[in-house]
Amino acid sequence: MMKTGIPALDDHLHGGIPRGKSLVYYAYPGVECNVFGMQTMYRAVSEGGRGIYVTSSTDPRMIRDQFAEFGWDAAKYGDRFVIVDGFSGLVGANSSEQYVVSTPDDADSLTQAIKQVMEDMDEPSVIVFESLSTIMDLCGESATLDAIEEWNQYAMLYDHVIVYNFTAWPYSEDTLAHVKGDICNSVVLIGGIVEKVIFSQYFGVKKTDWDEVTKKCTLYKVLKPGGVRVYLPKILVTGPFDAGKSTFVHALSTRSVSVDRLGTTVALDYGHVDHKGFTADIFGTPGQERFDPIVKLLSGEAMGIFLILDSTNTGDFVRAKRMLEITESMGLPVVIVANKQDLEGALTPEEIRRELDMAHDAPIIPVVATSREGVFEAFDVLVDRVMEAGSI
Amino acid sequence: MTYNLGISKIDELIGDIKGGTNIMMIGPPMSGKDDITNIIAYHGLINKNAAVIVSTREPGNNVLDWFESRDLSIPSEHIGIVDCVTRTLGFGAPDTENIKMASSPVDLTGIGVKISQFFERFWMEMQLKETRLCINSLSTILMYSNLQTVFRFLHVFTGRVKAANALGVYVIEDGMHDDKTIVTLKQLFDGMIEIREKDDGYQMRATGFASKPTPWFDYEIDGVNIILRG
Ligand SMILES: Nc1nc2c(ncn2[C@@H]2O[C@H](COP(=O)(O)OP(=O)(O)OP(=O)(O)O)[C@@H](O)[C@H]2O)c(=O)[nH]1
Ligand SMILES: [Mg+2]
Repeated sequence: MMKTGIPALDDHLHGGIPRGKSLVYYAYPGVECNVFGMQTMYRAVSEGGRGIYVTSSTDPRMIRDQFAEFGWDAAKYGDRFVIVDGFSGLVGANSSEQYVVSTPDDADSLTQAIKQVMEDMDEPSVIVFESLSTIMDLCGESATLDAIEEWNQYAMLYDHVIVYNFTAWPYSEDTLAHVKGDICNSVVLIGGIVEKVIFSQYFGVKKTDWDEVTKKCTLYKVLKPGGVRVYLPKILVTGPFDAGKSTFVHALSTRSVSVDRLGTTVALDYGHVDHKGFTADIFGTPGQERFDPIVKLLSGEAMGIFLILDSTNTGDFVRAKRMLEITESMGLPVVIVANKQDLEGALTPEEIRRELDMAHDAPIIPVVATSREGVFEAFDVLVDRVMEAGSI
Repeated sequence: MTYNLGISKIDELIGDIKGGTNIMMIGPPMSGKDDITNIIAYHGLINKNAAVIVSTREPGNNVLDWFESRDLSIPSEHIGIVDCVTRTLGFGAPDTENIKMASSPVDLTGIGVKISQFFERFWMEMQLKETRLCINSLSTILMYSNLQTVFRFLHVFTGRVKAANALGVYVIEDGMHDDKTIVTLKQLFDGMIEIREKDDGYQMRATGFASKPTPWFDYEIDGVNIILRG
């Protein structure tokens, strides 16, 4: 299996892309798609493999810079990072790459270069097409579709993995159906949620022929540096007064602010987390009962909830359960944070489970928010649960 | 949601332009189309519109300079430039607040992504609901990609302009393309600004906005103003 380099996607693909198989990143115009192919390429070379990047709309001298923008140092991988230059020929520039497509608007010329590079690789490698749509624009739809079949067969012969970035411009319906349907072993849809403008991006596996498809869409953001990150637009942190909600939000976040007065939260805490391929916006609620209307207001459209408890303060546990009700979190993934574990008299997670009368599999994580102990464990568990729930 | 071009007499004659309108500007070389495009964008900026400018002939910095050298009081954070030139010249310049780099004029996917990103930022983050998209120019894009490809690209983005109630202005070099190209592309636009050479100078008129075209006007460009005569 070759990994795509995007952990959540590798999960959806049941581990990655098997050798000899093809995958197309099929993107809605305007949604950032090339980074997917780049991340897959980078993953291959950084794991000691070989990657071949076929450029069609970018000067090859710029390719390594584009990778560097994501924090991926292509230069480090020397001749394991191979470029097939399908651009220079188009603008009449000279190329210093080893593999050059002499006439990029001729599918045969491309095929020649691609077969050559596939033969030359002495181990199964990953071939990434910067832009299949540009090739289609230059060579025509039917010639390109024929060529893809040929490339895929060749890749299968040599056990290479072949990956295409494709932007779904309004080509003929037939062409789009082919690209989205039968021509590759696997299709990953990359889409946008549109309301006047594209304001949110997601990916999801449409098809794999090596396993069952998990019908899940995952929101993502593209970070520079960083690449594709699964995005959780709203994670809620709630719990009784003084339990350590604000402290928890700050402990988790790379950026954060709180609207507090005299040490208690009166409006909200906001934090931004970037951790292990995930990026999330975290909203902390106030704890005092008089702010309950705000809690209700803040909790709309949350994807998951942290319930923060002061593990020494059993008197507040009833209130804690009440807060879960206020947030209308029925059915949402919840992680219980047993905070202040450093204090004497703190109950263990199992004692808390009994006190709260929680199900045996409800996650309760011991945490010391002031020293960040356990905060990322709690985050990982919640993210797992959210991903399992698999909502957009 | 309505727009004006900032070209006084023509604005009066054609009335308010409704949101979602796509305009083709066609004229001969040297007739000041760059200035006119920027002035239309400028007129939006001083009225709290955002401006997204796709530049295929000038590096993004030059476009930004155009605005900054003329009026420092406009909010530069409302300007987004998609630079299709700098990286074609082999410079690995990074994106900045105002300028996003496309790989080349062939890179329609990249150009599309950058336009969408500016639209999202202006609309969602900055709550600017009126945006002007200027593509200067389609002629360069047509040098690298065939008509069908450019048509598909424009089909998508004129649609986005419509959906976002924005104003789109697309510049074309007169005399550089065959009739078929112009006729094909025209279908995508709601109106035109036409420029022609006349005697020692140039004239412009607007068509497609009212039942008949406006008269031809001689014009002169003075800073951020277009002065019409006749
Ligand atoms: N010993 C210890 N103290 C903690 C821990 N977490 C938070 N605290 C302290 O508990 C107090 C309350 O923390 P906050 O984070 O303000 O609690 P909160 O839940 O946001 O409180 P409200 O917004 O008023 O409801 C502060 O004095 C924190 O320093 C912890 O893990 N251990
Ligand atoms: Mg607080």
